[in-house]
Amino acid sequence: MQLTHARQFARDSERRSHADARHDRIFRRLLKFCALLVLVALLGAALSTLWGGREVLFGQGLHFLTSDAWNPVKDDYGALAPIFGTVVTSLIAIVLSVPVSFGVAMFLTEIAPNWMRGPVSSAIELLAGIPSIIYGMWGLFVFVPFMSGIEPVLSDTLGKIPLIGRLFQGPPIGLGLLTAGIVLAVMILPFITSVMREVFQTVPTRLKESAYALGSTRWEVLWDIVLPYTRSAVIGGIILGLGRALGETMAVTFVLGNSYNITSSLLMPGTSISSSIANEFNEAVGLHRSALIALGFLLFVVTFIVLLIARLMLRQLAKREGK
Amino acid sequence: MNNRAFAVTAPAVETAHHTKIRVRDLHFHYKEFQALKGINMDIPEKQVTAIIGPSGCGKSTLLRIFNRIYAIYPGLEAKGEILVDGEDILDPRYSMNRLRSRIGMVFQKPVPFPMTIFENVAYGIRHHEKLSKAVMTDRVEEALHGAALWSEVKDKLKQSALALSGGQQQRLCIARAIALKPEVLLLDEPTSALDPIATGRIEQLVEELKSQFTIVMVTHNMQQAARCSDLTAFMYMGELIEFDQTEKIFTKPDKKQTEDYITGRFG
Repeated sequence: MQLTHARQFARDSERRSHADARHDRIFRRLLKFCALLVLVALLGAALSTLWGGREVLFGQGLHFLTSDAWNPVKDDYGALAPIFGTVVTSLIAIVLSVPVSFGVAMFLTEIAPNWMRGPVSSAIELLAGIPSIIYGMWGLFVFVPFMSGIEPVLSDTLGKIPLIGRLFQGPPIGLGLLTAGIVLAVMILPFITSVMREVFQTVPTRLKESAYALGSTRWEVLWDIVLPYTRSAVIGGIILGLGRALGETMAVTFVLGNSYNITSSLLMPGTSISSSIANEFNEAVGLHRSALIALGFLLFVVTFIVLLIARLMLRQLAKREGK
Repeated sequence: MNNRAFAVTAPAVETAHHTKIRVRDLHFHYKEFQALKGINMDIPEKQVTAIIGPSGCGKSTLLRIFNRIYAIYPGLEAKGEILVDGEDILDPRYSMNRLRSRIGMVFQKPVPFPMTIFENVAYGIRHHEKLSKAVMTDRVEEALHGAALWSEVKDKLKQSALALSGGQQQRLCIARAIALKPEVLLLDEPTSALDPIATGRIEQLVEELKSQFTIVMVTHNMQQAARCSDLTAFMYMGELIEFDQTEKIFTKPDKKQTEDYITGRFG
């Protein structure tokens, strides 16, 4: 009786461990499948835009990349103006929103009294929930008139400074790269802020306290301790925002002006990759359609390059810290 | 150490050592909770004073008032007087920079900054003094010697401090604190996260450092207090129950509560 019981137990446990190993295997495969699915989707999107744009990309080659002409009548297409507009508006957005996000995140984690943290954090999350079409409408009806009011002031002040002055000269029409950049900045602010706030909270209290104990000021603690400690996540957050800015369509289309220009002035209208596609896709046929799809492919490339630069930057920073 | 023999019968406040920190009627609240209830205490110069007591007795709170580290959190206030060589450090006008350079602190867990070993030590100095590169190098080396870490890290000053072992990291934190040449060193359970060997080295270091600094150490570990301190304070529920020569506290304490705690009857 005793013996059969033991035997039974041994058999059951063996069966059990076989089953466990099988389940583990299935689970591992499932996870791998999920991860691969992302890669396949990405690759599929990239390849299909490459295929769709092949006529322009391979037919015209370098001309498409280096020309700023965009003339559907003559079927002459160059991607430089949309790329320029995309990169410049996104850069403006990043330059404006990163310091503000940093300030907000710093305030929320280090300085704000407890009763303020909740409401301000929720307000920021709400900002992230507003659809981009609303930003576009607000941009066009409210912000553009406002900008056309202050652009003459910008031209008269910043515009007079040598070197950077050229960025702020031009007719005060309100639409343009600067306006689009500012609207984008507001749109990506909540993303960058939330990431920064989350990761600032992960910094061990004792680490901050030991810096305070050496006499550091709040600014020094944040800049020298908190920021390096959270650096890769902070840069991750910035990249997330930048990615959003690079691909943002509706809001930009409303306020950018949609003209194929490359100008030194940020007050001038321009176009971006995604707004060109959104504006023209309806009526595009033949080579025009191929050019728009090729633009989509270039957006992949631009985003990829940005990610690459971010990675390199991180590695450089890590080297400086002796890792 | 003739004061030892003398002090067995006399209260701690009457040691031959000059009083470095004089605490008078110190109260401290965390919101509603009163963490310290009228502490009076004279901490002698260049001695090791250990503060023991069960969790939540206020010993860390007391230590954290000595350099006003609590002040980085809004809404906390200490009432009473803490005189360091006669200067009231709780006075809001008292310079935070002066306070933090006079009183250094080492925390429970080793917390190196995310920088190189050299920068970890130089960081604090840089806040207070503008030094040439050569002088800074000397100061960093001196501090690392002082923390008995120099021989282990001298070839990797440019490497990240995060790669050091826990014990080394804690000695780096001590180096960082003594690099400012403080007068007082506060140790908040400095070995609670370390293994016995690393703990032994820190205790030995404390013994060496006491010739230069006044050391106040909070510890969970009664044997540690008995091993490395000259005076021991026993706290319970926010009150200072007894403060005397370590020998006396551990052999024949005056108070029943102290004896109960020492012998493990509660806490």
